[in-house]
Amino acid sequence: MPKITIDGKTAEVAKGTTVLEAAQQLGVYVPRYCYHPKLPISGNCRMCLVEVEKSPKLLTACSTEAADGMVVRTDTDKVKTARRDVLEYLLINHPLDCPICDQAGECGLQDYYMEYSRAKSRFPNEDKVRRQKRRALGPHLVLDNERCILCTRCVRFCSEVTKTSELEVMGRGDRSYIDLKEGKALDNGYTLNLADICPVGAWTSRDFRFKQRVWFLKKTPTVCLGCATGCLVEAHHNKNTIYRLSPRPNAETNTWLCDRGRMTYKSVSAGDRLVKGIVKNGLIELEPALREAAARLDEARDAAAVLGSPWLSVEDNSALALLARALKTENYSFDFSAEQGIKDGILINKDPAPNTAGARQVKAAAGGLSFSDFAKRAASGRIKLIVAEARAAAALKDELKAGGAALVVFAVNRGEVPEGAQTTLPYASYFETQGTFVNYQGFSRRTRPSVEPPEGVRPLWAMLTSLASYSGLSLGLNSGDDAIRGIKK
Amino acid sequence: MENILLKDNVTGLESYFAAGGYKALKKALAMKPADLIEEVKKSGLRGRGGAGFPTGLKWSFVPKDAEGPRYLVCNADEGEPGTFKDRELILRNPHALIEGMAIAARAIGAGTGYIYIRGEFVAEARALEKAAAEARAKGFIGGNMLGSGSDFELYLHRGAGAYICGEETALLESLEGFKGQPRLKPPFPAVKGLFGGPTVINNVETLASVPAIIDKGGAWYAAIGAGKSTGTKLFCVSGPVNKPGVYELPLGAAFRELLEKTCGGLKPGKKLKAVIPGGSSTPVLTAEEAWAVKLDYESLAAAGSMLGSGGVIVIDESQCMVKLLQVLARFYHHESCGQCTPCREGCGWIEKIMDRLESGKGSPKDIDTLYSVAEGMTGRTICPLADAMAMPVMSFVKKFRSEFEAHAAGKCCPPEAPVKH
Repeated sequence: MPKITIDGKTAEVAKGTTVLEAAQQLGVYVPRYCYHPKLPISGNCRMCLVEVEKSPKLLTACSTEAADGMVVRTDTDKVKTARRDVLEYLLINHPLDCPICDQAGECGLQDYYMEYSRAKSRFPNEDKVRRQKRRALGPHLVLDNERCILCTRCVRFCSEVTKTSELEVMGRGDRSYIDLKEGKALDNGYTLNLADICPVGAWTSRDFRFKQRVWFLKKTPTVCLGCATGCLVEAHHNKNTIYRLSPRPNAETNTWLCDRGRMTYKSVSAGDRLVKGIVKNGLIELEPALREAAARLDEARDAAAVLGSPWLSVEDNSALALLARALKTENYSFDFSAEQGIKDGILINKDPAPNTAGARQVKAAAGGLSFSDFAKRAASGRIKLIVAEARAAAALKDELKAGGAALVVFAVNRGEVPEGAQTTLPYASYFETQGTFVNYQGFSRRTRPSVEPPEGVRPLWAMLTSLASYSGLSLGLNSGDDAIRGIKK
Repeated sequence: MENILLKDNVTGLESYFAAGGYKALKKALAMKPADLIEEVKKSGLRGRGGAGFPTGLKWSFVPKDAEGPRYLVCNADEGEPGTFKDRELILRNPHALIEGMAIAARAIGAGTGYIYIRGEFVAEARALEKAAAEARAKGFIGGNMLGSGSDFELYLHRGAGAYICGEETALLESLEGFKGQPRLKPPFPAVKGLFGGPTVINNVETLASVPAIIDKGGAWYAAIGAGKSTGTKLFCVSGPVNKPGVYELPLGAAFRELLEKTCGGLKPGKKLKAVIPGGSSTPVLTAEEAWAVKLDYESLAAAGSMLGSGGVIVIDESQCMVKLLQVLARFYHHESCGQCTPCREGCGWIEKIMDRLESGKGSPKDIDTLYSVAEGMTGRTICPLADAMAMPVMSFVKKFRSEFEAHAAGKCCPPEAPVKH
């Protein structure tokens, strides 16, 4: 194992470790633009130049392998001058349109300029190279070639991660620009990662553009519920509105985030967001909706049934199990199965539901029918009423038709509600409440609320508690955790 | 002294053979590869493309136990302004290159060779095709060279017109079908080069020098020249001299001898102002420095410049150094591949300052900026193109500052309209 000394700190690092990685291990930050831990080394930005003993030239920390006895300095005048020079070169042709640039506040040029340069410009404004600005590329992105510093992270992402190779550096010298290759479209399902990895404002998200200055955003770590992969994400929000999701890179599950997953936050404030109840097809206030559902439950009683859902958290599934227990019905099921695993070699899971594994945990604790038995009973007419989550209920479309059971469903958005639902009740989405989800790898992960639910709308377990109490039953729940503890009793 | 490279009447195979050609190859095929490398090391032959790296040492970097194919590549992408020796050598003595390549291939264990020739060299490419066909027909190259059991397939590849492809790793990228951009080193081509295999890349003149070394021995070659600069070198002399052209001289010859004897001196009425001794990217010498210098690697380095490619650009008092540097700046700005920040942005910046100074719109401050932009590019990029721009800038400013100052004050030669491109 090579022993390397950087700025006087020594460490033994694994063979093949680069100077930049070794520095990171030693807590020495080396500025970089083109380097990205998950992309092949390109070495073009020249920002990470460091001084290596016995080497007459400065070397790029990103591409130089640590060698035994190597002595590196990142704090010498030579290194500082090089960084200042590289920044000056990068900035001469940069449009400096920070006031209208979304990247401002999280921009590599701004940050490093403050940290490593603060030099006055020596370049006449009229000499700047002009390039194409504001070009929509693909459904999610806008490219501003004038802001681009040609680090090629985006080009390498498309060739190495999605392996779709849509992008290339065209032209030469300071006429270079990023463009689509002939005959390609930028729609590979992961394009918004380009806006993340772009160190400047060249790639910006069409969804996020001009919505918020980034320094106003608060960041809440949570989990993406777009599929069973369960990527770790961060919700960026301000004043009770979420503006974007970003990946929280981790070794277990994800470095990136797919475009679909990124857009899942939109359901929170979508036009069809449910804030009231629906009886038949008419919107009514929450209280009467709950009473209506309770009345249906009273009617059905032991002919009532409860269906869990792979779209709901372990807490909310547990609360449904407790409702079944309170109703003293045998007609309940938490038996969901779906083939799980990454289907595109990157992140997207074969199982579109986020919590199939979590629902099975509830089944293990609370028992219940197999899904096919449940479906058979629903079709036979023995079940008069089913309490379920909207998307799980949608799977019983034919059985409901055959057996004629009424449906009381919980939904976040009206679009989820299956045809023929008798009563629909809203609940707080998992951007508004915490919930435990078990991903395809078996990792139990909890969402964290970043915004408040609409007025009156509460987590599903709480809505269920109200419903039960209107029906004269007590679930004994004061939190989601109570539900998990409850089913284990 | 008899020329080793530029000989008369050796263009065709018959005449080359009559002059003792392919004798060295026969000898080489009977020798062990390690002995061939040793012989070239002994000769002291150094890369003639510009960097002057010892050739035998370069060959010895190919790992002995490397699996898979190895490649020999001849860099015939002669593009350095002021340099026109390789094309002359190819036209006049193509078989020396082919024989040299066959010997080098044997030495490094390469079964395949490529000649990457500058796209504009159409006649030269045809000459090489013809010579290679002749050599192949006689069994000098191809499968089972001269019954030795060694194969050497030779291919000619024409470039598409980028100066950067003369940089060896950009050349490899281009040869593989990619955009010609230099690669990060390490890995060096000797370990991982063309198509990922161990590769040696040598200049035309370097390879063409090999047959004589094998034929007459490394010691014989090492006796020619001066000190560590052994053998002969082709010099391309351009500018206001009586007999411009390509000349072969032993290394260590005095510049005075080259200019006054070989080239017949400056044209009448001309007075020497400066000399760029080794192609446009090498630092300029003042007349005084040039008159005193000897043409070899060490002497030119001691004088603050480089032997480079041997492209000797003679500049007389009637030339404007600012105008000249503007021309160079336009060239390097045009040819920078754009990969590394300092080169991509610096070359354009330098050209813009030069345009300003040349058109009389510059200021004295521009001169300092010019120098510091060049300084900031030096030694900080993947390949030496940034240095190739920076070296002339810094040396021109340092040695001819008064001309730049005169321009900044609106004097010197009449201002011209900026060049559109």
